[in-house]
Amino acid sequence: MTTLLITQPDGADHRTPPGHPERGERLKALDEAFAASRFGRLARAEAVAADLVLAEAVHSASMLAALRAAVPEAGIGQIETDTFLSPKSLEVAASALGGALMALDAVMGGRAENAFCAIRPPGHHAERNRSMGFCLINTIAIVAQEARRRYGVERVAILDFDVHHGNGTEDIFKNDPDTFYGSSHQWPLYPGTGTLDETGVGNVVNAPLPPYSGGKEMREAYRDRILPALRAFGPDLILISAGFDADGRDPLAQLQWQPDDFAWVTGKLMDAAGGSADNRMVSLLEGGYDLVALAEGAAAHLGVLMSGVAAKAAE
Amino acid sequence: MTEKKPDDIAKLSFEQALAELESIVAKLEGGQAPLQQSIEIYERGEALKKHCEALLKAAEARIEKITLSKDGKPTGTTPLDD
Repeated sequence: MTTLLITQPDGADHRTPPGHPERGERLKALDEAFAASRFGRLARAEAVAADLVLAEAVHSASMLAALRAAVPEAGIGQIETDTFLSPKSLEVAASALGGALMALDAVMGGRAENAFCAIRPPGHHAERNRSMGFCLINTIAIVAQEARRRYGVERVAILDFDVHHGNGTEDIFKNDPDTFYGSSHQWPLYPGTGTLDETGVGNVVNAPLPPYSGGKEMREAYRDRILPALRAFGPDLILISAGFDADGRDPLAQLQWQPDDFAWVTGKLMDAAGGSADNRMVSLLEGGYDLVALAEGAAAHLGVLMSGVAAKAAE
Repeated sequence: MTEKKPDDIAKLSFEQALAELESIVAKLEGGQAPLQQSIEIYERGEALKKHCEALLKAAEARIEKITLSKDGKPTGTTPLDD
């Protein structure tokens, strides 16, 4: 089994104001973690920018035009409370998308069984008609549509264990019965969506978790709600919105997961991918703002992707 | 954002604290709380909830049963729990 790691050399060129949690150092922390000898077996590739015209598959033309118009010539511009643009931000968003599509091509082409993309900015809050919550474009949603266009994939499942609900991904796919969206997240918390009664057309499963809850509650939510629905959906491809901000050390949320919990959920999703999806899985970095927790969580996630052996659930 | 310090919460009346708590719940549920401040807003909500609970408890302790004479006139009070 080969696992592909996509890195993004220009990732830090999307600059946010001093003190902003979504910062270039996040990727540096991951680069350092993945330099460890146990990651020596990885296949590695550097992200090459994709054409942002592909974003039109999931975003309105007016939103993309507004985003282009908001790019500052110098300094840092703001498009809403949390979300900022620097002169090269859209180029970085394009390289994040390009890297994710390289991972898709490798997995669909059989050159890798699965892949993890250490990319920024994150994407899962970007809705069809607006950028928000540190996210400019919804990268994972575009990858799902490209999987259809390039490879004729029919049923795509997007699983999201970032601590925040992926309102953007849900918004884009809530009426699409061929795209499954399953999310575990803290609730209440930003962005306020992700309640149990948001079920789309039967294709959306949310598992809101209470503040200060940990691995036990998370495992119950996956066992009882998300995994049975995912298996019943029968995906041809699994995409993961991998945020590592559910870790107890993260400054933006209160869930109390530990690196082992990220390993557990990764193993369970791999189990699910072993059926109809023939192990095809592409994972994209979303959030994670404590650099140590981010590096440990992502290393646990990548370690399980490489192992090919699903983590044994502690019953 | 200019949030009041939690010390200020102690000075709020029940009605003021409840009103602010309701506005925080609406903000969190309506997605109006910024990502970076969502957790601070939640924690202020928790502090307001605790303050409201403490005020309710104090009010409860002050409620006393009114005792009535045989002809139905109030003659005094006894504590609720007696």
